[in-house]
Amino acid sequence: MEKFLDVVIAGLLLGGLYALIAMGMSLQYGVARVLNLAHGEFIMLGALSTWTLYTVFDISPLIAVAICGPITFVLGFLIHRTMFRKLLSSSTNQGIFESTSMLASFGLMYVISNLAFMAWGPEIRGYSYLMDTVSIGGALFGARRLVTLGFALAIGVAFYIFLSRTKIGKAIRAAAQDPATAGLMGVNINMVLAICFGLGAAMAGIAGVLVSMCYPVNAAMGIEYLTVAIIVVVLGGLGSIPGSFIGGFLLGIIGSIVSFIEPGLTVVAYYAIFVILLLVRPKGLLGK
Amino acid sequence: MLEINNLNAFYGSIQVLWDVSLKVNKGEIVALIGSNGAGKSTLVRTVTGLLRATSGSIKFLDHPIENLPSHVISEMGISHIPEGRRLFTDMNVLENLEIGAYPRNAWKNKGKTLEHVFQIFPRLKERGHQLARTLSGGEQQMLAMGRGLMSEPKLCIIDEPSNGLAPMVVLEVFDIIKSLRDQGITILLIEQNVRHTLEISDRAYVLENGRVVMEGDCATCLASEHIKKAYLGL
Repeated sequence: MEKFLDVVIAGLLLGGLYALIAMGMSLQYGVARVLNLAHGEFIMLGALSTWTLYTVFDISPLIAVAICGPITFVLGFLIHRTMFRKLLSSSTNQGIFESTSMLASFGLMYVISNLAFMAWGPEIRGYSYLMDTVSIGGALFGARRLVTLGFALAIGVAFYIFLSRTKIGKAIRAAAQDPATAGLMGVNINMVLAICFGLGAAMAGIAGVLVSMCYPVNAAMGIEYLTVAIIVVVLGGLGSIPGSFIGGFLLGIIGSIVSFIEPGLTVVAYYAIFVILLLVRPKGLLGK
Repeated sequence: MLEINNLNAFYGSIQVLWDVSLKVNKGEIVALIGSNGAGKSTLVRTVTGLLRATSGSIKFLDHPIENLPSHVISEMGISHIPEGRRLFTDMNVLENLEIGAYPRNAWKNKGKTLEHVFQIFPRLKERGHQLARTLSGGEQQMLAMGRGLMSEPKLCIIDEPSNGLAPMVVLEVFDIIKSLRDQGITILLIEQNVRHTLEISDRAYVLENGRVVMEGDCATCLASEHIKKAYLGL
């Protein structure tokens, strides 16, 4: 029983990361209607930048959050303002935009990933930071993983408050439900969509910083996290941000339990959940 | 205030508006009537930037607006209360009203405007924290109109407000529209409920198959044989 609790806590620690990654993707799909296949590459950018900042410039990963977050936001914002906005204005309906934007993001994935290979090479990178351990209920956990969970929770809560309390947050929710009518109310839709895309990219970038604190990273890591993001987003309900948040923790716990029983089956379990979900409940936990 | 000249618009390859011209003067209620599919909604959608006209001009307070995006047109003072209400159903009543005050100047005054809207629609105040989707049809229409007033518009375009409402509520809605005009808001009213509409309006345009087939003051329209036969069932 005690062992089981350890496994669940380990799952929560992993789940925080998944939740953060999936929330970003969910925001981009739920509001901007882009199923962003380049999402993993923003995680990779955050991770490798943090590695460089720490090993070359001796800047702490915790400070890297404050650097990589805004930079990936601006990057995402600009990508939406140029590429996706152009696709949106040339698409005659939402279905067409969803497919062209997904293909465009697929291309973007290769562009970013190959640029990263040029910049950082294919080597697997890692660094040691915050290696202390903390005891929770008798089991030992790395302090850096607790920091990761703390960040994921804080960003989740902050984002919830942002959406429910601020003017732009309310505009985002209105635009997610009915962009044309939000426009009639005076909301600059193109701006809101670009902000959402940027925020989603920033969540990926920050997640990348956190990933690099706990796991080895390299230029090819994006696809692995993209897969997790897609599974969690479908699990939580396509486009549902709270669903992604809960789904992230759920998948983390499931992953942790499966890897405790048989480590080799973790990824298999993820895909099995994904397939079963699509067959049994394609709208996910909180989808409409 | 609003001046539309020789407007043509298409949905795909089908032409829906043919050389439509229409004018709304300050302080008027202008009715735009016609049957289903006549192009009424298409016309107002081109005014507020939801659809682009292929030719023709639209001027609001002497500024051309035919190429402006919806949010800029809203900031200029046109409020479009769309057909089918189009509320943000997953948001509560207060949040819907707040979004209505999104343009910068309206946002500054939103506390005061909200009080005013609650005076016109007291029921919205009681329902403040309820999700919009849980309101009755009549309340939803009130909320759509309240939301449209939150931007402190100069011109209100109200598209089919009586649609799907009980007769008693319809009368209430028309009374409120009349009172809005008395408060100095100019109104373009799109309706299929021809009799009530003509009774509260100053002038009317009749749209058939995308063309204006009749225009004039409401008394003339009510007396017209064509209107009597086609729209009033007399």
